[in-house]
Amino acid sequence: MDLLTTSVATVESDSEPYTLVELAGEADVTNSDALREVLDAEVAKQPRTMIIDLSGLRFMDSSALHVILRANRVMDRQGGVLALASPREPVAKMLRLTAADQLIPVYPSVREATAG
Amino acid sequence: MTESPATGLFRHVGFFYRTAKEYSTTVAAFLGDGVAAGEPAFAAIPDSQLGLVADALGADARRVQFADMAQMGRNPAWIIPRVQAFVGLHSGRHVRYVGEPIWASRSQAELREATRHEALINLAFAGADAEIMCPYNTARLSQAVITDARQTHPLLLSADSGPGTSPEYAGPSGLPSTCSAPLPARPDTTMIHTYRSDLSQVRALVMKGAKEAGLPDDRAGDLVLAVSEVAANTLRHTPSSGTLVIWHDRDEIICEIHDEGVITDPLAGRRRPAPDALGGHGLWLVYQVCDLVELRSDDTGTTVRMHMSIRSPRPLG
Repeated sequence: MDLLTTSVATVESDSEPYTLVELAGEADVTNSDALREVLDAEVAKQPRTMIIDLSGLRFMDSSALHVILRANRVMDRQGGVLALASPREPVAKMLRLTAADQLIPVYPSVREATAG
Repeated sequence: MTESPATGLFRHVGFFYRTAKEYSTTVAAFLGDGVAAGEPAFAAIPDSQLGLVADALGADARRVQFADMAQMGRNPAWIIPRVQAFVGLHSGRHVRYVGEPIWASRSQAELREATRHEALINLAFAGADAEIMCPYNTARLSQAVITDARQTHPLLLSADSGPGTSPEYAGPSGLPSTCSAPLPARPDTTMIHTYRSDLSQVRALVMKGAKEAGLPDDRAGDLVLAVSEVAANTLRHTPSSGTLVIWHDRDEIICEIHDEGVITDPLAGRRRPAPDALGGHGLWLVYQVCDLVELRSDDTGTTVRMHMSIRSPRPLG
């Protein structure tokens, strides 16, 4: 079984569709290239909103964070919004200590992320 | 407009004191002069000393920012980013800072790191418009600690000899041997693991060791993150394998990583990276989540020793 699994969906919502990327497992330097490919492909479709659901992530290191920060830069440039949803405590803490949570909105759930 | 004559000159003064009276008078005068000149002033000193200084300052105490150094500097690597934030907040102004990172009940490992911190102040604040005073209690600290302080401070101040330069000052890049020599040997009975590509296994071993040592879950998670970040550097920056060693005693659990990587920047991980930087967060996290980190690097490789206290609560997070 892969250390990190990703699944991508376009979700219809009341307002407008958004891209939902679900991450599960452990995201580290050994799979950050694969993560980058997944996020790059979705960002290239220029969605208005992309939400990364972190609820299934047991661990995330700074390599994975850099991939997410990079995706956030491109989303910004494209006028889109990237949001993170439901990180478990170790991941949430890491986002706080790097101040990434000041740059990318972090929500307790995907539902709250869609509400903005 | 309200700047003192020392403007533009970074000053780093080691202040040797023996009595509470000497301490409170001198520290309060240093801070009070700043307050009188309208300069931002910050004092990070052990909780037990805060009252003394505040009393001596009187009404001026309200215009000084205070922090308990036992908390803020429990891991000495946390201090420079805090002071840099204070300097940054008052950018363009001359600031005063009193920092007392060394006290007698510090462990040997903490003393090594606090001494290293004192040396790195010279590098981190070179050219900054800041005046830094570091009190040392010569009645309680060992002669070895005071000898190191003479190497890490370009300027000295004491009741006996007044202000002056330190002939032993090692320069902005100098490190006393106490905090740059190879780390003390580790105990024999240890868990040793060699890794080349599987960081998940490294993390599992750290988690297992942390549980066995009795580290609470959240702090075990912190240690796992720290070790994983250092081990990730092995994969990123070296063509060979790395070694993880774990041991613990009643007080702390220690994880040590050794690999063939070379870290040349002595301030690596000790400055807060910009949030949107696409690098530099790894070592920053290591220093932030651990109670103490000791790093030694030369041409032959790098050793990083990460300490977590088993009982004491940690202030950050």
